[in-house]
Amino acid sequence: MWTFVVRRLLQSVIVILGVTLISFISLQMGGDPTFLFVSERASAEEIEMIRRALGFDRPLHIQYLTYLWNIVQGDFGNSLSYRQPAMNIVLGALPATIELTLFSMFFAISLAIPFGVFAAIYRGTALDGSIMTMAMFGQSIPSFWMGIMMILFFGLYLQWFPISGQVPFLMPLFQGDFATAFGNLPSSIYHLIMPAVAVGFYSLSRNARLVRSSMLEVLGQDFVRTARSKGISERAVVVNHALRNAWLPVVTMIGLEFGFLLGGVVVIETVFSWPGIGRLVFNAINQRDIPVVQASVIVLSVIFIALNLIVDLIYARIDPRVKL
Amino acid sequence: MSKTRSLLVASAASMVLAGSAMAQVSDDTIVVGLSADITTFEPAAISSRDNANIVRHIFDTLFSIEGDGSVVPDLATDLAISDDGLAYVYTLEAGRTCHDGEALTAEDVAYSFNRAKDPANAFTGNTPGFVFSSVGFVDAVALDDLTVQINIAAPNPIAFGLLAEVYVHCMDSYAAMTLEQAATTPIGSGSYRLVSWTPGSEVVLEKVADPGTFQNIVYRIIPEASTRSAELMAGNVDIITNVAPDQVDAINASGVAAVQSVQGTRRMYVGFNLSEPFAAMPGGDAIQNPDVRRALQYAIDVPTICAQLLNFPCERATGIVNPPNANQALTPYPYDPAMAEQLLDAAGWPRLDDGNRFTIRFQAGKGRYLNDENVVLAIAQYLSDVGLNIELDVMEWGSVYVPLIRQRNVGPLFFLGSGGALWSPLYDMTDLAKVDSGTNYTHWSDPRWFDRWADIAAANTPEEQRVIIDEMLQVFYDDGPWLHLYFQPDFYGVSGRLNWTARPDEKVYLFNATLN
Repeated sequence: MWTFVVRRLLQSVIVILGVTLISFISLQMGGDPTFLFVSERASAEEIEMIRRALGFDRPLHIQYLTYLWNIVQGDFGNSLSYRQPAMNIVLGALPATIELTLFSMFFAISLAIPFGVFAAIYRGTALDGSIMTMAMFGQSIPSFWMGIMMILFFGLYLQWFPISGQVPFLMPLFQGDFATAFGNLPSSIYHLIMPAVAVGFYSLSRNARLVRSSMLEVLGQDFVRTARSKGISERAVVVNHALRNAWLPVVTMIGLEFGFLLGGVVVIETVFSWPGIGRLVFNAINQRDIPVVQASVIVLSVIFIALNLIVDLIYARIDPRVKL
Repeated sequence: MSKTRSLLVASAASMVLAGSAMAQVSDDTIVVGLSADITTFEPAAISSRDNANIVRHIFDTLFSIEGDGSVVPDLATDLAISDDGLAYVYTLEAGRTCHDGEALTAEDVAYSFNRAKDPANAFTGNTPGFVFSSVGFVDAVALDDLTVQINIAAPNPIAFGLLAEVYVHCMDSYAAMTLEQAATTPIGSGSYRLVSWTPGSEVVLEKVADPGTFQNIVYRIIPEASTRSAELMAGNVDIITNVAPDQVDAINASGVAAVQSVQGTRRMYVGFNLSEPFAAMPGGDAIQNPDVRRALQYAIDVPTICAQLLNFPCERATGIVNPPNANQALTPYPYDPAMAEQLLDAAGWPRLDDGNRFTIRFQAGKGRYLNDENVVLAIAQYLSDVGLNIELDVMEWGSVYVPLIRQRNVGPLFFLGSGGALWSPLYDMTDLAKVDSGTNYTHWSDPRWFDRWADIAAANTPEEQRVIIDEMLQVFYDDGPWLHLYFQPDFYGVSGRLNWTARPDEKVYLFNATLN
């Protein structure tokens, strides 16, 4: 196993290098970013001065290699907009997105598994039809539309939930301020419910269908028939035998979705005014705040790589047929 | 099972309590919903309007410009301008203090100006990039504790108003801070001080001195327009900016808030790029002729664009200057496509067999101005109706369109807005102060405009200046490089519990806001 881990870590260095190069080139394709940081009345001399101060006057390969050398030393540069260390800005926004992602995944998986199991067990019935119809809608409805509708209905009309904003839990927790973190927890969850449902509904729908199809495949296998013939209760057959095999593809999907959600919830973060990394990166790209974009790319890449590694390790643990 | 049920009930109860804790705004607090994140509290790095609206409550300026364009003293009580127009000597009010407890003196003022200009700091905000570039700032010197002299390179008729935009901050604190610290720790002398800033989420200010009615100001960052409107209608915020035109009716019908629509000072126009390279492009040769440009003025129904796409009744602009200071003898070009066709025929551009007169590219950025993409589509259609074959090129604003604009490399037709002011017509006109001005995106070079700037500088009285200004504006109206459109309206949602009036210059100042 350790050989596998070390090999993957070495591969991850190459992946991160590649990601930084691609993002760097992509940002440069929009042309000289200096103009976004100078006044429209700036003279040519002032523009050149700013270009030099921001380092945009150097050849692109020098800019990139200098950046790589700096990050090896732990210097990710200063945000051109915030004028603070770019990595601090990114890490400041990350907890909010992790909260949203974790809660939405919890919502999605805790419902997707029972929905998928019941749909498979009661295949062809009204229950199966209802669950699959819900899943179809869930995968069809855009999350931003769902978010806005939830705001209008549950937030404005019924006033059951806060319309927007976040009460942080993870950030004070990471900072060691446990009193604030746990004091915020009820309100934090309260603010999380609507955005997490908006984000997680698609995942719930997809995973419910995945669990259903996986269960149907497993329930038709010989070992399940053998388990039933031994007199084991149906519940034990489903939970201990069938589900244990059926949720393997779900494990893979969870890992991939978590990584995707970390960087892909920008629309929901915008709708619900959630101060997460998705919105940060989106604004940084628009503002050509290159250090923030690069730092975000590195952070998200590292997390994605780590998640995939963890998923592979878990997969090998729960399925003895898989060899690392 | 009972334990699980108890746990669930307790969790639900705690969340309900948490929910009730986030209910309506208290009477000593005013909450503003902003559409864009702010990025810094460094006074010399402020460039966005939202950012400026917040820090104006933290920092004072030498003078202050009111919403109607009038000027009132702030830190300074008096100003003397040298005969050569190069030295502005301000007398400060005694007894002002900084948030760090230190007395605010002329030394702080001089420091604020000189620090913003220091190339070592590489600031790119409004102060060094716009104000100092426009006035030709040289340096600032404290003559004594309450007298400071600001030196500029050349006489400038709008220097006073521009210098009034510089935020004065406190030398002792800033000299001890790094640039990174200064970006998060503003120390000014204003009515409010910063309590907390959660990037991307909210800013909280606390009152420390008059003027100011509310003890606390909370700015919440709510990027999505419909979410802002929902928060306003739910009573969670008192003021929201940038209300989308399609949400005005819903807010007005809510009974708890109303939309204030104001004609802003931002001049929206279609520019004609008259540079040589663009003259060689399709259509670029046609627009070199002032008769063609004048003909196209009649092709656009600006009031209908305003009414249908902006949900705001507007009168078409007559030129580059905001209405109170415009040439009052000029009337807006009417919508008269028949006249446009007639003038285009007369200018030597008849319809060809394919029905078109000439092809021309029309460039625009999207997502920056109010309903800009639809406005551009409408303008393109109006121009097509009179025989222009429009090649419309709508591009991403920040990273694609802005660099082209800054390099003055858009066109031959391009859609753009330019911020204006009410305190002087010259402020609006200085977009075209020189042929090679960075803001002369049209490369217009008519000497009947540019040569008159020297006459303005030489004028002895405001009345003499006014005559020259009106003559220049007549030239701009007849043969200018802009297809005149409108002054962009601004929509503010205001809670019914609040007594506050929106300004036309996009400045959201809360000093005089009160409860009803």
